[in-house]
Amino acid sequence: MNSMVSRFAYRLLLRLHPVSFQDEFGAEMLWIFDEEHQQAGVAPLLLDGAISLLRQRCRIQSDPGQLSITSGTIITGPGLGPLRLLQGGITFSLIFVSLIQLLSHPNLFTVSVRWADRVPCYTLTLQAPSHAEVVLETTP
Amino acid sequence: MKSETAKNPPLSSATLNILLALAGGNLHGYGIIKEVARNSDGHYRLGPGTLYDNLKKLMDSGLVSDAPPSSSSKRRSVTTKEDDRRFYTLTKEGKDALAAEVDRLQTVVTQARSRLREARVGRA
Repeated sequence: MNSMVSRFAYRLLLRLHPVSFQDEFGAEMLWIFDEEHQQAGVAPLLLDGAISLLRQRCRIQSDPGQLSITSGTIITGPGLGPLRLLQGGITFSLIFVSLIQLLSHPNLFTVSVRWADRVPCYTLTLQAPSHAEVVLETTP
Repeated sequence: MKSETAKNPPLSSATLNILLALAGGNLHGYGIIKEVARNSDGHYRLGPGTLYDNLKKLMDSGLVSDAPPSSSSKRRSVTTKEDDRRFYTLTKEGKDALAAEVDRLQTVVTQARSRLREARVGRA
């Protein structure tokens, strides 16, 4: 992904975070994105930003909605307004693009079955390009 | 034991790694990411979203607070313009929470070793 486009996408993600969070950490997150995107890759950073956005939005769900749009703050009422729909659409698209990029990486998934105490455990390892690993274990 | 757990509940992996990184000295955000990667030999890398999401929670709960840039942190600088960066430090409550988590993990390791020993004896 083009460096400028990816930076723009990340800035957009930061803009969608709650105002207090962006004011406090937005500049630092963008700085780290600039430092890390060559080494870690853009997709994991975008995905990480999208997950952070969802966490922050879920956390303030009980408060009156506050949306930050480019240069100001718009107070919205409860429910799904057009801005919130747009916000969700953009966020979903970014997550989707990030996932596609991650999934297109070769040797991404390793699935193994092992036995622990006569009970099979299915281990799914998600190996991201940045060497980050997500391991899901299930015991039926 | 239960009251201790209620006071210091088990920490998530990201939280534990952030507190461990800060136990070595005051760091800025990028310094924490680098320190966590270094401590895990590069196997665990925090993204900025995960880092600041957890830092905010830790600051809200009083385990981490702002700190002035220290000389030791400057020595471990990874980029220029260090002085402009916001540094974070462990509070006393943060150190207590980290110590409680290390004790909890120690108990888990002791129990795990005991179980493994029993399993080996059972097989033999």
